[in-house]
Amino acid sequence: MPLNEPVTPGVVDWTGENPGILLKDDNGDFSAMALFFRVAWSPVGQGQVLLLYGTPGAVEGTAEAPNVILSDNPALTAFLKENFIGKLGAFANAPAFATLPELGAQAVRSSGDPMGHRYTETIAGEGLTVELVWEELEAPRALELTPDQVGTQEHTMFTLLVPSHSAQIIVNGKPLPGKLGTRVQAGYETTTAFLYFSETWVIPPEVS
Amino acid sequence: MTRVSHNPGRVDWSGENPGIYLKQDPAQAHYDTLALFFRVALSPYGRGHAAIVLGAPDQAQGWPHVPNLIMTDNQRMMRWIVDGWVTKMPTFIGKAGLGAMTWLDCDSVEKRPSDLKARYSETLRGSGVTLEMIWQDMGPPLPVEVTKENSATKEHEMYSVFLEAKAAQVKINGTAQPGQVADRQFFGRTMSTAFLAFSETWVTPAETNEGDA
Repeated sequence: MPLNEPVTPGVVDWTGENPGILLKDDNGDFSAMALFFRVAWSPVGQGQVLLLYGTPGAVEGTAEAPNVILSDNPALTAFLKENFIGKLGAFANAPAFATLPELGAQAVRSSGDPMGHRYTETIAGEGLTVELVWEELEAPRALELTPDQVGTQEHTMFTLLVPSHSAQIIVNGKPLPGKLGTRVQAGYETTTAFLYFSETWVIPPEVS
Repeated sequence: MTRVSHNPGRVDWSGENPGIYLKQDPAQAHYDTLALFFRVALSPYGRGHAAIVLGAPDQAQGWPHVPNLIMTDNQRMMRWIVDGWVTKMPTFIGKAGLGAMTWLDCDSVEKRPSDLKARYSETLRGSGVTLEMIWQDMGPPLPVEVTKENSATKEHEMYSVFLEAKAAQVKINGTAQPGQVADRQFFGRTMSTAFLAFSETWVTPAETNEGDA
């Protein structure tokens, strides 16, 4: 619940949407990972960035399962890699992180209804079309997380979580293999497919 | 006060909700032009866009007699938001133009954010109307979290990121509506009456939620 002081102490790092899908194989290892950003404000402007690990265990992906970034704002890609994604262990520790090729996103489109049955993001560019599909959606819940509760360990974070119980990462028409797993966020067990709307990352005064 | 990680309230809607309130004389109490834009990412009535302009806030007339109108691509959603939120905001309470405004269909919405500092605009087209809302000379983002007691509706909790704009315009079919940006007391500080508002979420607090059941 909001604190009594209406202005949150600290500096806004970025704000926007940040949905993702993490799929696992039968051994419990990640088989495919996708994290999408629709940034409404950052120090380097607005933009949309998709990070896709089609082959999370290798430096080089395949044509069917590439490791790649699709972005319409290269400066935003660099900002997010350095200040945000690079601090999220599951993504930063992947073998491909340092050398991910970046392609230009020429079309980005969302469809569906996050309070309905299905929601999608489709990102296309340079011969690659990636569709992220979330289904079996729970009701949205508002979260306020402290630095010890977030992946970066550095931010206060506000967001709106819509958990999904069925999701796909579709690359050029073919779904990547894998199943959803579970995870715990601030004491709440949820899935590895999630929509995050109105997400704001604030650098608290003691850090900034 | 310690943070509660999972807000127990009911999420009502979320999205972007920037505004422009203009006065012809900064010393006058009333506004000559009131305008709000909505880019709703999530609501019980789906997603959508809208802009409300009251160019004659105290006149019970609509477009084209006076510039009191709403343009939207989701009328049902906006009827719910106007009734539940806009009519309860202090700037809009009792404004005859809000009840009389004409509801127009919106065919397209075009955002031009530039660098988020010099100029930002939203342009809505449809029903023979082109409506432009233009914000200029923006400040840094301000994260806000507002209790029910402090919120504009006095009924909801609200989270948002505000950017003040030092100048702004509202144009209908190329004609600028009267007035300039002024100052107001907001969140315990002096702030501009033109603002961008990103990542805005409205929540009905748990106790109100339970009372409704």
